[in-house]
Amino acid sequence: MDLNLAPEDVAFAEEVRTFIDANLPDATRRAMTLTTAFLNEPELGYEWHKLLHKKGWSVPSWPDEWGGPGWTPVQKYIFDLESARAGAPVYNGQGSRMVGPVLMHFGTDEQKNKYLPSICSGEDHWCQGYSEPGSGSDLASLKTKAVADGDDYIINGQKIWTSFAHKSNCMFALVRTSTEGKRQEGITFILLDMDLPGITIRPIIGNGGDHEFNEVFFDDVRVPQSGRVGEENKGWDVAKYLLEFERGGALVAGRVRAQFAKVVRLIRDRGLIDDAHIRIRMAEIGADLDTMEMVDIRVLSDLQSGANPGAISSMLKMRWSSIRQEVSELALDAAGEDILKWEPERPLYDALQLPPDEEELLGIAPRYLNFRAYTILGGTNEIQAEILGKRVLGL
Amino acid sequence: MDLQRDTEHTLLADSAERMLSENYDFSARHGSPADQGDDAAWADDMWRQFAELGWLALPFAEEDGGLGAGMVEISILTEAFGRNMVVEPYITTVVLCGGLVAAIGTPEQRAETLPAIGEGALRIAFMGGAAGDISVDAAPSGDGYVLSGARKSVIDAPMAGRLLVPARIGEGIGVFMIDCDATGVTLRPHRTLDGGRAADVELTGVNVGRAQMLGGLEDASDAIEAAIDRTIAALSADAVGAMAKLVEETVEYTKTREQFGKPISKFQVLAHRLVDMKVSEEEARAVTTLAVLSADAPASKRRRAVSSAKSKVGRCARFVGQNAIQTHGAIGTTADLTIGSYAKRLMVYEASYGSTARHAELYAAIIADPDTAGAGLLLSPAA
Ligand SMILES: Cc1cc2nc3c(=O)[nH]c(=O)nc-3n(C[C@H](O)[C@H](O)[C@H](O)COP(=O)(O)OP(=O)(O)OC[C@H]3O[C@@H](n4cnc5c(N)ncnc54)[C@H](O)[C@@H]3O)c2cc1C
Repeated sequence: MDLNLAPEDVAFAEEVRTFIDANLPDATRRAMTLTTAFLNEPELGYEWHKLLHKKGWSVPSWPDEWGGPGWTPVQKYIFDLESARAGAPVYNGQGSRMVGPVLMHFGTDEQKNKYLPSICSGEDHWCQGYSEPGSGSDLASLKTKAVADGDDYIINGQKIWTSFAHKSNCMFALVRTSTEGKRQEGITFILLDMDLPGITIRPIIGNGGDHEFNEVFFDDVRVPQSGRVGEENKGWDVAKYLLEFERGGALVAGRVRAQFAKVVRLIRDRGLIDDAHIRIRMAEIGADLDTMEMVDIRVLSDLQSGANPGAISSMLKMRWSSIRQEVSELALDAAGEDILKWEPERPLYDALQLPPDEEELLGIAPRYLNFRAYTILGGTNEIQAEILGKRVLGL
Repeated sequence: MDLQRDTEHTLLADSAERMLSENYDFSARHGSPADQGDDAAWADDMWRQFAELGWLALPFAEEDGGLGAGMVEISILTEAFGRNMVVEPYITTVVLCGGLVAAIGTPEQRAETLPAIGEGALRIAFMGGAAGDISVDAAPSGDGYVLSGARKSVIDAPMAGRLLVPARIGEGIGVFMIDCDATGVTLRPHRTLDGGRAADVELTGVNVGRAQMLGGLEDASDAIEAAIDRTIAALSADAVGAMAKLVEETVEYTKTREQFGKPISKFQVLAHRLVDMKVSEEEARAVTTLAVLSADAPASKRRRAVSSAKSKVGRCARFVGQNAIQTHGAIGTTADLTIGSYAKRLMVYEASYGSTARHAELYAAIIADPDTAGAGLLLSPAA
């Protein structure tokens, strides 16, 4: 047992780092530092994605058949870690990390050929249409209805919390195609274009000031059945498969590390390093971070050796989301009354022209507020506890 | 990078767990609180079995009569000790004192000490606490030194034949090996919170020769710190074992105890608490692995890992200990169940070799450098 990377992996990390250093523009780094939403703006990510695409690195987890680099789990981890740590933007995880793997597994050849290349190149931007006003944690209760009509479905209903629906041209959605039998057995997984007649998008502004998610209304929207993934009424199985790809540990670890280092610097700059409360919280959060990084590495080691990491993803989700919030909270405590000044315009990096330390202060309160979402989205922490209780403890 | 246990690790874990769960009678070993018995004799039979299994020689080099194993093997063993509440003086004798002799002892000191430890003929206690916590002075006298000082609750001292005494020599700290029955040494034995044995030790004008000074070093501070860090890594694995048992027993209890017409595990507030306990156990295990795998790394890396682990495992231990008791209701507060004993063991963990708060402070000082705080465990930007 050891924590040392193989020489070829160290060399790979060096290669990734060198590439990022040479190609990631300073303006993008600044924009990422001033990003307050939980995901960066797609425009920011797209420029970087195109560069990665040229290099063959745009879809790290994909097989080379579909334009992926064919990396080992360790290489993927290193790439994510280095990217996140350097402050490289992300782009359309809903495409590359969610619907992409689903299509590779369940899609027809026609669907694969139609969608995968433009996820790889970044031309398509996807959004996820799952949640509804009445269906959050209890997703299987969803009501948005799809009725077969010739070669199409006609869809009526409403989705909500749809991240970047306003910047996406494609959506994957869960819709109800049957009300008989078990609720899970009447759900269908469907792909659709966002410019279809009858789709209306209404923005929802977050408490941190960012426009990230939306309401999406469907009013007699005619969607070709060729966009259905898997069989009719079997969409729940597809959705469950997709859940396995929502993990994304290294991206989180790298990002939280980088943010933590920034907060430590802030604490020092503000002369708070000997403040008893701040210091103990800093130590606790730092140790929490070390701990979860070790859990990540264990999962990676399991994957590398072909072992099954088991039901650990719920624990990763629970703890990482909380640690992210704690880091943002530590920044809040360190900033003191400097959080009072509020800049309403978003993105902050377009609104501001200030010295770096001053503009960074303006991101702290919005980020703290937006980061409350981490323990809610993608299955709340209470739901993760339900899963762990059942699967791990047999409760 | 590889965190998988290999076949030998699994064999060691299985055989240790089997041997201890079958042969190690917790209540007999801990005795009743009134029983003051003969502390040394009390340890002998189990200790012989440990020797026969090769456990006492595990970490020593082959030329010192050892098996040449590392911290991973030690931690596998101590995790099993934690699960089974072993109170034998393994960690102090083998990991801490044996480790220190192995690290800096002269060839003569090693030859005279380590094979004897490995065979089960010699046990040594450590008359010190956290690194830098020194309570004995060594005054030069003729060819040697005179030791004086006192320390409360020297863990395992009543079961030991010798003491390793870290002592101030001017600016430095030397380590002296003395017999427990040497002139000027007084031991006042007592029980410890977790059913173990300790003694308040007083040294009044104990004469020692230079040959008793480990490695002939007038300053062994770095080696002491390293040995204590290895000890903390081994103890953390012990705490993980104790936590795992507490979580198992508490989960089991909630599935059988019924109130309001159903098992109490069906109440969501308890179910989620059990999950939080399990998560704490897994966190403690993960960060302990960090300490174990960093125990032989260069000092800066090792210090960061060990204080991170001690502070984090301490927090997890307190959470698991408290909630195991709460979730059992009144029966959880009695001396009748083993969960109370596990909770005590975790209290001892927290208080040993620097408290949770003390290590949080040490860790804070290390990560107060933003570059260190930002360095990942697998790859640091400078790596
Ligand atoms: C920033 C952000 C982005 C999002 N992006 C998307 C997106 O792109 N696409 C999409 O489809 N959805 C998205 N979501 C929605 C997200 O998936 C839901 O918010 C989530 O599933 C929870 O549903 P809910 O908000 O309706 O809360 P509810 O389910 O109403 O939960 C309210 C509270 O009750 C608790 N609760 C619910 N059930 C239980 C139970 N059985 N036991 C104990 N406690 C329970 C919850 O934990 C929570 O604390 C996003 C959400 C956020 C915050």
